[in-house]
Amino acid sequence: MALLLRTFTRKGTCLFRPQFGSLYRHAVPMGTTANEEMNTYWAKNNKLNRPMSPHLTIYKWSLPMMMSITHRGTGVGLSGGISAFALLALVLPGNYPYYLDLIHSLSVGPALLSLAKFGIAFPVSYHTLNGIRHLFWDSGKGFKIPEVYRSGYVVIVLSILTSIAAIAYM
Amino acid sequence: MAAIVRLSSVCHRGVKPLFYRSSLLSRPLVAQQKDQDCPYPLTARIHGSSSLYAGSGSKAASLHWTGERVVSVLLLAMGPAAYYFPGPAVDYSLAAALTLHGHWGLGQVLTDYVHGEPKIKMANAGLFLLSTVTFAGLCYFNYNDVGICKAVALLWSK
Repeated sequence: MALLLRTFTRKGTCLFRPQFGSLYRHAVPMGTTANEEMNTYWAKNNKLNRPMSPHLTIYKWSLPMMMSITHRGTGVGLSGGISAFALLALVLPGNYPYYLDLIHSLSVGPALLSLAKFGIAFPVSYHTLNGIRHLFWDSGKGFKIPEVYRSGYVVIVLSILTSIAAIAYM
Repeated sequence: MAAIVRLSSVCHRGVKPLFYRSSLLSRPLVAQQKDQDCPYPLTARIHGSSSLYAGSGSKAASLHWTGERVVSVLLLAMGPAAYYFPGPAVDYSLAAALTLHGHWGLGQVLTDYVHGEPKIKMANAGLFLLSTVTFAGLCYFNYNDVGICKAVALLWSK
C-alpha cells in the first residue's frame, strides 16, 4: 500500500494537484489507531520470524535513558511492594504491630536499619521527583536537551538528599 | 505547581492533550510544501491530521492519558495530606489512588513489552486481578488494622 502511494506521489505526477483534492482523500489509509498499527507490526514481524535488530546492546547509554528505565523500575518495584503488602494483610493471621515487633526483635544493627530505610525511601523519592519532571514534560516544558540533563541531575540529587533527610529526621 | 495550572487549561478546553492538536503536527511540514510543486508531504500531513479521522476514532485513549495525569497529581497531593492529616479519609483515598496509579502504570509496561493478541489479553486479565486484590487488601488493612498512614509512621519510628 505504501508503495502504491509512493508511486503516485512522486514528483511530476499531477494526480495530487490541489484540483484533484477529492481523489487523494480516499487513497490514503486512515482510521487505524496507534494500537492497531502496533499490533499489525508485531503480528507481521513475528509471523515472518524476523530477528530483532540489536538496540539496547549497541546504543550508547545516556543519562535520560538510565533515568527513564529507573523510573519504570522503581514504579514496578513500588507497585509490587504495595501489592505484596496488601496480599500479606489479607493472608497473614496477626495484625501489623505484631509483625512490626517481630521484625524489631530481630535486633538488626543501626547500619542495616538505615540501609533498609534507604531502600524504601529512595525509590519513593526518586519516582516521585522524576514523576514531577514527567508532568512538566506533559505540560510541554523542558524538552531542550540541556534542560533534560539539568532537570535530570536535579532529580537525582534531590532524591538522594530527601531520602537521607527521611532517614535522619525520623 | 505549573503542572496543575497547565492541566486545568487542558481540562477547560475539553479533553485534548496539548501534543495531539493537529496544528502542532502540520506546522513543521508547511515549510516543505513551499519548496515543491507536487504536494507529496501533504499525504504525510493527511495521515497525521486528526481532522480527517472525522468520527472514525474514539476519545478513549486521550481521556485515559488525561486520567493518568490527574491521578498522578492527586497522588502527589496526598503525600503532604497523609503527613499533616493522617486518618481514615486519607487512608482510603491513598489506597484508591495508589492502586489506580499502579494499575495504569503497570498497564503501560504491559503494552510496551507484551505482544500478540492472546498474550495481551491474559496479561491484562492478570493485572486486573492483581489490582483488585491489592485494593481489597489495602481497604481490609485500613478497616481492620492500623491504616496506611499509621503503618508508615510506625514503620519509620523504628
